[in-house]
Amino acid sequence: MLAGLEVTNLSKRFGGIVVADAIDLTVPSGRIVGLIGPNGAGKTSFFNLVSGVVPPDAGRIVLDGKNMTDLKMPQRARLGLARTWQNLRLFPSLSVLDNLLIGARDYPGERLATLVFQPGRIRRTGKAERLKALEVLERTGLAGIADTEIANVPFGQQKLIGVARALMNDPRCLLLDEPMAGVEGHAYRAIQKVVRGLAESGVAVCVVEHNVAFIRDLCDEGVFMFAGKVLARGDVESLVADPRLTELYFGT
Amino acid sequence: MFSLPILAQIMWTSLATSTCSVLFALAFALVLKVNRVFNFAQAAMMTVGFYAAFTVVGLANGPAWLGFAAAIVASVAMAILLEIFGFRVLRRRRASSMFVFIFALVVSELVAYLVMLVFGTWPATIFPSLFWPVTLVGPVAVSQWDVPALAATIVAVAAVFGFLRYSRAGQFMIAVADNPDLAEFYGIAKDRIHLITMIVAGLLTGLAMFLYGSRAQVQPMASIELLLFAIAATIIGGIGNLGGTVLTAVVLGIVQNASVLFIPSEWQGFLLYIFLFLAIVFFPKGIRLPERRLTRTAPAPSLIADEPEGA
Amino acid sequence: MEYIYAIAILMALYVILATSFNFIIGYGGLISIAHPVFYALGAYSSALLARDMGVPVFLAIPAGGLIALIASVAVALPSLRISGDYLLIASIGFQLGILELIKNLPWTGGSGGLTNIPSFLTQTAGREAYVAFAVAAAIGSVLLLRWIAQGPYGRAMSAMRDDELAFAALGRNAMTMKIAIFALGSSLAGLAGGIYVHYFRFIAPGQFDILQSSALLTMVVVGGLRSTWGPIVGAIALEALPQAITFVNLPPSVLGPLQGILFTSLVLIFMFVRPQGLIAASERWHGRNEEVRDARRA
Repeated sequence: MLAGLEVTNLSKRFGGIVVADAIDLTVPSGRIVGLIGPNGAGKTSFFNLVSGVVPPDAGRIVLDGKNMTDLKMPQRARLGLARTWQNLRLFPSLSVLDNLLIGARDYPGERLATLVFQPGRIRRTGKAERLKALEVLERTGLAGIADTEIANVPFGQQKLIGVARALMNDPRCLLLDEPMAGVEGHAYRAIQKVVRGLAESGVAVCVVEHNVAFIRDLCDEGVFMFAGKVLARGDVESLVADPRLTELYFGT
Repeated sequence: MFSLPILAQIMWTSLATSTCSVLFALAFALVLKVNRVFNFAQAAMMTVGFYAAFTVVGLANGPAWLGFAAAIVASVAMAILLEIFGFRVLRRRRASSMFVFIFALVVSELVAYLVMLVFGTWPATIFPSLFWPVTLVGPVAVSQWDVPALAATIVAVAAVFGFLRYSRAGQFMIAVADNPDLAEFYGIAKDRIHLITMIVAGLLTGLAMFLYGSRAQVQPMASIELLLFAIAATIIGGIGNLGGTVLTAVVLGIVQNASVLFIPSEWQGFLLYIFLFLAIVFFPKGIRLPERRLTRTAPAPSLIADEPEGA
Repeated sequence: MEYIYAIAILMALYVILATSFNFIIGYGGLISIAHPVFYALGAYSSALLARDMGVPVFLAIPAGGLIALIASVAVALPSLRISGDYLLIASIGFQLGILELIKNLPWTGGSGGLTNIPSFLTQTAGREAYVAFAVAAAIGSVLLLRWIAQGPYGRAMSAMRDDELAFAALGRNAMTMKIAIFALGSSLAGLAGGIYVHYFRFIAPGQFDILQSSALLTMVVVGGLRSTWGPIVGAIALEALPQAITFVNLPPSVLGPLQGILFTSLVLIFMFVRPQGLIAASERWHGRNEEVRDARRA
């Protein structure tokens, strides 16, 4: 058994458009893999297939030896799969802290039956989850804005909240969809630090990013995607240096 | 079990009676496909159409053609009002789909209550008698209502499909149905297309209600039930698939009318709810026939769930 | 005096109905118009259980709530599986279908209505006790739903309404939550039905038709979606208003449609002029005080 994410023969087409063409890809536990490729190469579609937004036509998705292919999105999340979104998808009606609490793995207070029959358990776990959320906010440098509304948080920090929310699930595998687009300064360094720390603690991380410098800084290796296929895999330097891939990247 | 002539008679009458259902369903399905609205306010269009014809013919003893014109004008006018002062405003405001639903439904109810206040709750008919003279064609009795109704329905359905296929506005309607954002990109004025769709639905509704009201009794709340039939046909036929909707409406209409043979008549109305239930439980995405490229099918307008973003 | 008692009980029941309906459409974001039918199911079940099967009324009323709950899950499960749009369609079909069923079944009293329903409390403890019972049930329902909405469950409901996809990606099952919301709201309507029927001791299918649906919709939309006080104010005001009209002594053929016009046009006016209702709920979710305090301390 391989610890980490293991995807084999993943395929999906929408009408005539092939978004995933027999993708084989592994992200071992503790590694950071960057997905590179031009727009429309199928990177975000890959994330959508792995996280369960859309069901694949064929293929297998396995995390830490557990087959997730036929599971729905919430079940995959409960097996330790977390993701962020290109367009963030934070909850605007909740404060920063409450956004994180929706990411908590144990949430008896969100079940009506427990609400009625085990109020004590809710109080205990509720407190533990709040402590944990505050700890995650501390780690990501967001502790100061715990009570703030999402709309009043600058964009870079919103990205960071997206990552922090995903962390609440203690993920085994984290999919980051363009975490750096539009981010600079403190938030940039914070995200970098957090992601690296996660990998060191044994999380399998997969990143889609257009910022090649960030990929080079952060990723252990890169995967080049084009037209729903994995074309090449290797260390980021050699991928970026490959004239054939550069041609594909900028040629379209 | 049944003699052939009886069976033939029932099939014929059921087919003729299903014509109105076909038109209601086509109007509903068209608005759903192009405007992406579950147009419960179609019941309001139906109600005003009927009562306009009723006023002209039933109350004022006007000629039938004038009643027909009144039905068409009233339904279309209602459709235009709904679109311009209702749906368009809500669309601009990006109102939640719940708001649009409530609006459409409540308008239908409001119109029904207004009609109740003016005309009373008793069932009414356009012509004083529901009985139409009958000619025997072989063993089958064909009434003078049947043939014009069938002919009018066939012409109307053909006209709608022809309009969608060959007219510029119709092609734009399909384009908007397939991809509203792309259509905007190519400079198609969506507001105009949405309005045209509602007008076409108004024309269909006016015609259908005139036909329906000339052989059945109508009371102010009847339209909402008639509309449920159209919804069942739209769902089973496959949302966005107009041809499927028309076919389903014919089949369901025949089944419902022919059901007198098998079940007591007071339960005949209940059949509608069984259709609806079956549609939702077993055919939520419509019955899938082998794909033919006759009418293009648009994805079901999921107004609530977010669409997954593309690559 | 009896008239006042009847009005008080009706107001209390409409507070339960409007508050639970607000829970479904406001907090759950679910579109249904069948709320009066769950009220009817509770009323008919409780009445028939007590009258024909000899079940004591204090058990029959919760049993009515339970039956409404089961029916609501049966409606929500297949329709929500597809999308929220289908719930509205299913709810319209369910409402008209159940009423059709009641009219035609041999043991429901048909269109004429069900009579001879056993009374409760009024004989032993007096009518005042029944008023107190109904008011207590109303206060209990309001407090229960408010407690849920301000706790972790309410936070999750807010998140679900904001972004269902992100909600699911965080391991939450939106479908289960929606069904639970719908079932809880509908079962409260069923309980209200039971409370109604053992006081007034007569029911007919006509009392639960589309007019009732628009009345409830009006109470919630005019009162204020997703606020605690909105539906209460809406229920009391709109229950008092038609009573005032009845004093004008209009014939029933005019009165019915007039009420309908009043309800529906109020909804339309509020939708376009003041969509937030009389009492606007905050866009942001606010937890219970203790939650906030806890968070600060921690």
